[in-house]
Amino acid sequence: MIRFNDVSKYFPTRFGPKYVLKNINLDIPDDRDVAILGKNGAGKSTLLRLLGGVDFPNEGRIQSNRFISWPLALTSGFQGTLTGRENVRFICRIHGVKSNRATEEFVKDFSELGGSFELPVSSYSSGMKSKYSFAVSMAFDFDTYLIDEIMAVGDAGFKKKCENAIGNKRENSNIILVSHNMNLLRRQCNAAILLAYGRAEFYESVEQAIFRYECL
Amino acid sequence: MKARSAFSIQRDVVFAIFVREMISRFSTYTFGNIWLVLEPLMMMILFIVLFGARGQGAYGFTEAPIFIYTSFLTFRGLWASTMRQCASARGGARGLMEFRQVRLFDVFLARTVIEGGLFLIVGLIIALGLVWLGYDPWPDDPLRVLGYCTVLWLLAASFGMLSCMLGSIAREVEKLVSMLTMPLLFMSAVFFPMSIVPRDYWGYLTWNPILHAMELVREAWFSNYTSPVADFGYLFAATLTCLALAMSSYRLTWRRIVAQ
Repeated sequence: MIRFNDVSKYFPTRFGPKYVLKNINLDIPDDRDVAILGKNGAGKSTLLRLLGGVDFPNEGRIQSNRFISWPLALTSGFQGTLTGRENVRFICRIHGVKSNRATEEFVKDFSELGGSFELPVSSYSSGMKSKYSFAVSMAFDFDTYLIDEIMAVGDAGFKKKCENAIGNKRENSNIILVSHNMNLLRRQCNAAILLAYGRAEFYESVEQAIFRYECL
Repeated sequence: MKARSAFSIQRDVVFAIFVREMISRFSTYTFGNIWLVLEPLMMMILFIVLFGARGQGAYGFTEAPIFIYTSFLTFRGLWASTMRQCASARGGARGLMEFRQVRLFDVFLARTVIEGGLFLIVGLIIALGLVWLGYDPWPDDPLRVLGYCTVLWLLAASFGMLSCMLGSIAREVEKLVSMLTMPLLFMSAVFFPMSIVPRDYWGYLTWNPILHAMELVREAWFSNYTSPVADFGYLFAATLTCLALAMSSYRLTWRRIVAQ
């Protein structure tokens, strides 16, 4: 269970604080795959960053006893001057994974990068980058995966592979997915959070949430 | 995933950043790690030539190359580069902040450890070179030298941290700090011992805690040199104050820095 207790988040601007989320009370159950819906700037990515522990609420608390992945976006924290392999090693080290080699080979296979895996990450195209960062996160066993728009990129074959990989993980973990692709959300999720007007609402049914979102 | 204690997480993270910094810092240069030794060596040779050209290399207690070696390397390795690396940690850590277990403080720790280690290694390599040329670069009291160096190192790290924190509030701090490095080189008794400075100016110069560190290191290095001004209490108090300020400003601002 991930629990939001009265969580507020604002960004200081020169017009004063701009609230993105205000007094959110929310429970995200462990056994549901949650879609996050909302217009641009509604706070979808901010919510994901709060969940990922890389940003902090200005008020309130987020409680959880799960291993949550880093927010998986296109610009994930890879150092451009290091090679794909070196970046994987770094992430293994900070997660306390001792079997570097197995993880490296998994990422190399899954991302279909081949020789480019030994080249600096800054030389990757955006499609390669998204494949790469998706593969890296799949190499670790988290309880909850946070995915931000990343599955929209990449070729058709890879998209299918991603969805299969997530399907395999589903046995003992769940995903929280941000996307503007409604069909993807329908396929992947069985619950939704709609962000609008600084509030968040939990929906048991994705269809209902999408209907509400399209009426906004 | 298995749960780890806070300490083992931090140890893993600091080690990971350490390796990452070591790779990314030198892999972009053609000669790679050789620059570590080459850069201070070139500066030292330049200053030795300057001193030689002035026709007055020594101050009575040692030869010019050894004098430059003891003071310039300490100032550059421990003060200037540790301070600069810590002060610029915010930019270097940008990509790292995507991971919840990585904190800015880990970057400070890793960079400080790297600079300390590099100082020892580079110092040793240049010392061996000096031995080969027939000089005697070994300190008379190595333990005291190491002790004073550690305090200077801590001072540099905490000053760097403090300016990194202040720099997150006003970017101008970065400019001021980089402007400060050059004058400090001339005001910290790096190229001259305090014994040749007229007594009238001691009062102004001794406000600078780095000067005390340089003089103390010199005193411990050469048993026949006694500094007229060195005061360990002052250096220690300055370091402690700096460290306390750095830690408290870190505690106050780190969440805001992460969000940037």
